[in-house]
Amino acid sequence: MFEHSENVIERIVAHLRRPVQIDPAVDSRVMEEIAGGPTPRVSGPHEAPPAETATRAFQFVVVAPRAARVALVGDFNDWDAARTPMRPSQRGGPVWTAVVPLSPGRYRYAFLVDGSRWLADPAAPAARDDEFGTPSSVVTVGGS
Amino acid sequence: MAQSLGIHHVGASDGELVRRVRAGDTGAYTALVARYRDRLGRYAVHMLGDREDAEEALQDAFVRGYRSLARCDDPERFGAWLYGILVNRCRTAGARAARRGRLFVRDDAALTRAPLPSPAERAEWDDTVRRALARLAPEYREAFLLKHIEDLEYDEMARLTGAGISALKMRVKRAREQLQLIFREAERV
Repeated sequence: MFEHSENVIERIVAHLRRPVQIDPAVDSRVMEEIAGGPTPRVSGPHEAPPAETATRAFQFVVVAPRAARVALVGDFNDWDAARTPMRPSQRGGPVWTAVVPLSPGRYRYAFLVDGSRWLADPAAPAARDDEFGTPSSVVTVGGS
Repeated sequence: MAQSLGIHHVGASDGELVRRVRAGDTGAYTALVARYRDRLGRYAVHMLGDREDAEEALQDAFVRGYRSLARCDDPERFGAWLYGILVNRCRTAGARAARRGRLFVRDDAALTRAPLPSPAERAEWDDTVRRALARLAPEYREAFLLKHIEDLEYDEMARLTGAGISALKMRVKRAREQLQLIFREAERV
């Protein structure tokens, strides 16, 4: 019986130790609350990260009130609106996020709202060499 | 307050990110949230037995953590510090849930009706474990999860919970005994 009982505990522990996926929208809800509520603006990239050669994850956050869907498009996903859909913080909420791995380099990007409205990041450098005629921004990821 | 949504490198150390947030880079906090979301979320889900309550407690812990960041003495151990906040939020949320009868399943008959867990029936096993955990007293469940699932040492558990080490050892022991008993009862049905 003792052996059986210990086995039960081991099985319970193994079961409970499995990773649990929490809705990533928690991130946006936290940031919304910290910021004192939704603000209809988009802000830009942070200070350049330290130089490294490895690919690193970057989180893109945009506030797009009344949007039904938002996609992050850029050089890193061939400007394909289907590849990086952003997640809303909550149903109907204004804050959308996406995490993208980026290796060192320069990337142009934009947010595509409801499949037709292009939104650049007003706080980020504008991409002056954008050949598509729609607003876009630039982020530079430091490299060695 | 600095408003800095946008893009965040999520590979920096905890200490570096905490220092950036303290310097006014609010957006750097998203990297800390993303880093600890799932791990702390696991504890909250198992402790509260309800995903919605768990996410609410987790969100609350992150927000409180941000607002109290000046009190984080060792930024490199931000995760451990945040754990303490979450443990407290789960206690509050658990008490609230118990008052509205949402969390604690005291229906022993329902538990014993549960089929024996089988590797092929993960969902049923999951349900059985969840209900067994819910039958533990909150302080036993808390101690069991921190020790066996989150792998904390007793001195760290004492720091997080405010309980003494001997009391915590007793809680873990009782939790194990009760879980064994619960599953033996289920087997007999």
